[in-house]
Amino acid sequence: MNIQEYILSGIVESYVLGLANPEESVEFESICMAHPEVHAAREVFEKQLEDRLRLQQVAPPREIKSRIFSQIGMEQTRSPEEPGNSLKRPVMIQRSGFARFVAAASLVLLLGSVLLNLYLLSQYKRSISQYKELLVSQEQLAHANQSMNTKLENYESAIGHIRDPRMAIVKMPGVPHSPAPSGMATVYWNKDSKEVYLLVNQLPKPVTGKQYQLWAIVDGKPVDAGVFDLPEEPQLMKLKIVPNAQAFAITLEKKGGSETPTMEAMYVMGKVTG
Amino acid sequence: MGLTPTYNEHELIAALKARDNQAFNYLYEHYSGSLYSIVLQIVQNATLANDVLQDIFVNIWRRIETYDPAKGRLFTWMLNISRNASIDLLRSKNYLNSRKNRELTDDVYVNDQVTRTNTDSIGLNKFLTKLRPDHRILIELAYFKGYTHEEIAHIENIPLGTVKTRIRNALIQLREYLK
Repeated sequence: MNIQEYILSGIVESYVLGLANPEESVEFESICMAHPEVHAAREVFEKQLEDRLRLQQVAPPREIKSRIFSQIGMEQTRSPEEPGNSLKRPVMIQRSGFARFVAAASLVLLLGSVLLNLYLLSQYKRSISQYKELLVSQEQLAHANQSMNTKLENYESAIGHIRDPRMAIVKMPGVPHSPAPSGMATVYWNKDSKEVYLLVNQLPKPVTGKQYQLWAIVDGKPVDAGVFDLPEEPQLMKLKIVPNAQAFAITLEKKGGSETPTMEAMYVMGKVTG
Repeated sequence: MGLTPTYNEHELIAALKARDNQAFNYLYEHYSGSLYSIVLQIVQNATLANDVLQDIFVNIWRRIETYDPAKGRLFTWMLNISRNASIDLLRSKNYLNSRKNRELTDDVYVNDQVTRTNTDSIGLNKFLTKLRPDHRILIELAYFKGYTHEEIAHIENIPLGTVKTRIRNALIQLREYLK
């Protein structure tokens, strides 16, 4: 193809004015890309056409511009800046004011959103720490509950023993010349199983190095029934099995107990009845 | 517009694509007169031309993303949008109804002869008066009425090849006229 002939054929003008059919247009566009001289010829004609139409322009009524700008003003987000034209375009200024209002409102909303987010974040953090505190106190409660359960089981077990009709109750008040005359202890002795439970009602706290010892009196002779420490709270303590006894007594002995009781240190004694 | 910045074409396109209102203001100030003259020549009615011009600039604002500089200058793109919008209006039902209310005749060609005197002195019509009548009618039908070459061949009852040759010749004259 002769490019100069192509340029002069009228295709350039036909394309620019929109008179070329689709096939001609596609062909022209590809030739234009391949041949700078075709592109240059197109540019020249476009420029001449533009310049000529500008020379012969007809100013549209002023209101058209207002209408256009108020229509696109609804769609656009940017604020226009038109210094020095306030008298010419009152509608522009109105829209400009509106756009500024929208921009300012957007900023306020953004700031509000940021503050709300910060507030919600701090609330969230506070909730997290409160949640952790609750977890800890819940664990403490569970722990306390468990120890209460253990205690309750002990009491239930003790009450179970006391209620047992085979259980002989031996009250042991303070003996004459006892270091603690107002002392009191109770032995619960199961005559079937021969188990011995002791409840200390009132005994003074032993001095360091000493321990109380329970004795079963069998045929007038004391038999060791076990040593014990005073529990912090009154509770039933299980001591040694005692097959046979007519009475029980408690003496204060050296730590670990003695083979024979120290008679001067006898605190309480009681006879088995029934 | 002394305080308004000036743009080269590249800057203007970039600013328009960035939805720069000031650039759009510049675009309107620089091109609305040229485009309005083409719209007037096609529509031949000032009230309708005003509506079309509004649609054209709103469309330019909306469709600036679709403008491809590889296919031509910005003005060429806008000119074609303007011509197409004007011809669309010319062919729309509303326009035909308003014409019927305005004119008793449906003969658009006869009517054109009457009303064109208003726009003879502007835009490309001035160029048309310099063409041979058998060339001029084809440019009028093709450019100002938007008929395809095939439609023109049918309307004028001349061979399609003749239509193409005459239009090409008229366009070559236009190129010389613009120089």
